[in-house]
Amino acid sequence: MRWRPILLAPLLAALLTLLWAAQPASAHEVRPAFLEIDQTGPAAYSVTWKQPTMGDVGIHLVPHLSNGWLERPPSDQYAAAGFLIKTWKIAGAGPAPLDGQTVRIEGLEDTITDVFVRLNLSNSQKLDTVIRPEAPSLKIGFVDGSAMSAAGFVLLGIQHILTGPDHLLFVLGLLLLVRDRWMLLKTVSAFTLAHSLTLAAASFGLISLPLPLLNALIALSILFLAPEILRAQQGGTSLTIRQPWIVAFAFGLLHGMGFASGLTSLGLTGTALLTPLVLFNVGVEIGQLAFIALVLGMRRSFRLMAIGWPKPVALGPTYAIGILGAMWAFQYGVLLFGPGA
Amino acid sequence: MRRRFTATAMAIAALLAPGLAQAHLVVTGMGPIYDGVTHFALSPEDSLPVVALAFYAGLRGPGSSRLLLAVLPSAWFVGGLLACLSGVALPPTALPLATAVVFLAMGGLLASDLTLSTPYHAVAAIAVGLVRGAADLGGAPAEAGSLLDLAGMCVAAFALFALAVSVTLPLKRFWMIVAARVAGSWVAAAGLLLAGWILRFGAKVQ
Repeated sequence: MRWRPILLAPLLAALLTLLWAAQPASAHEVRPAFLEIDQTGPAAYSVTWKQPTMGDVGIHLVPHLSNGWLERPPSDQYAAAGFLIKTWKIAGAGPAPLDGQTVRIEGLEDTITDVFVRLNLSNSQKLDTVIRPEAPSLKIGFVDGSAMSAAGFVLLGIQHILTGPDHLLFVLGLLLLVRDRWMLLKTVSAFTLAHSLTLAAASFGLISLPLPLLNALIALSILFLAPEILRAQQGGTSLTIRQPWIVAFAFGLLHGMGFASGLTSLGLTGTALLTPLVLFNVGVEIGQLAFIALVLGMRRSFRLMAIGWPKPVALGPTYAIGILGAMWAFQYGVLLFGPGA
Repeated sequence: MRRRFTATAMAIAALLAPGLAQAHLVVTGMGPIYDGVTHFALSPEDSLPVVALAFYAGLRGPGSSRLLLAVLPSAWFVGGLLACLSGVALPPTALPLATAVVFLAMGGLLASDLTLSTPYHAVAAIAVGLVRGAADLGGAPAEAGSLLDLAGMCVAAFALFALAVSVTLPLKRFWMIVAARVAGSWVAAAGLLLAGWILRFGAKVQ
């Protein structure tokens, strides 16, 4: 067991890295600002800007749109608890007035907060993104889904799941919960079936949830798994531990609606959506299976190397799942129910 | 227990919330780490020596594999950190030469299946980690993003090493061991070709 302290070294280094990287965040405004542009008519738009304030003092953030809409005086401006809200009503806009335009947030580079940007156009095109201090401007661009190849949709699905730590953490949680191969197959199949159902339903517009609520629920699904894994590791039992496929199915329904956002932003509708939907889902499954193979491969490797992890290290992934799930739930809870919501 | 876990997780999450990630649909908050993983995955000069060293460690047994699994990513991190903090980058002419030497050494080690004592395995892993870490982070600004990039590379090196070790660790049949050693000869050959190219064309190689 002389090698145990040596194995701890990279883990400590990773922890220190994260702590060091997180350090600048203390004692500053961290609540995100929000910019939403909705198309309310053929040539009419509504722009809402919401920025956090502390008492009467707000951090210096000014949104700019390169077509000049936000240089006009706002149609309405008022202070809600903890937030300053401005709205602009734009009428008589030309065709595609937002294509290729740039959103710039003046002062963002001097802060540590983010700006959520949401665009809803009447032709079902949506854009949900974030502007960060290190790159305080964003060029608006909608991907033309009809111009994408079959491989493009598959790659989009793969990319969507592999760059989504929330979905990956949930799958990791399931893998930590499941004990045998048969249950693994059942659980992964249940998750796949559930998220495929809601991916299709959400893509065709049959079901929908407000994005912050959906994200909060997905975060809660991750948080829910962590204590269950801990309980299983300590020899306890529960319905989740005995039948993890039920949880995988139930929460898979939520995650599928999350996957749908990757597809609906392409602006495809009706029958034109069918093939991309299938290909996108294939991509999601490929990405998911690759991740599962990676985790199982690592687990096999640790077994072959006869690594007996010290208890704090063995519990690390479970705590990571719990902490990140709680953190995301906390953030979206603030967004949903916090001051000014 | 469950209540205590939830309370602990919520408390730590509330402390970390200002600086770290957001959920998928809005932002991952993990960009630099993903960049580091991607950089590693798309750089054969990073991944091939790791595979060769892992195959070799697997042939030497679980003890050596465990040691190198810890030493290699740590050395990578230290090499990258030193390069990042010092602001010193390897000269462009030295980079391909370092790559060639690392390919030759790791490929040669695997191909020859040399019996060395465990500390020498660690020395080899430290050398590879330091050189590649320094090569990857040389010239990068000393800021959080670079460090997260480096963390991503180290995680990728750890994962690839673990996966590659599991290929050779259970090998018992002679022909399978020979096949693994042949893979080492290919890595060494790539290093030899690179070295020959450098001798022939000098610094034009990259």
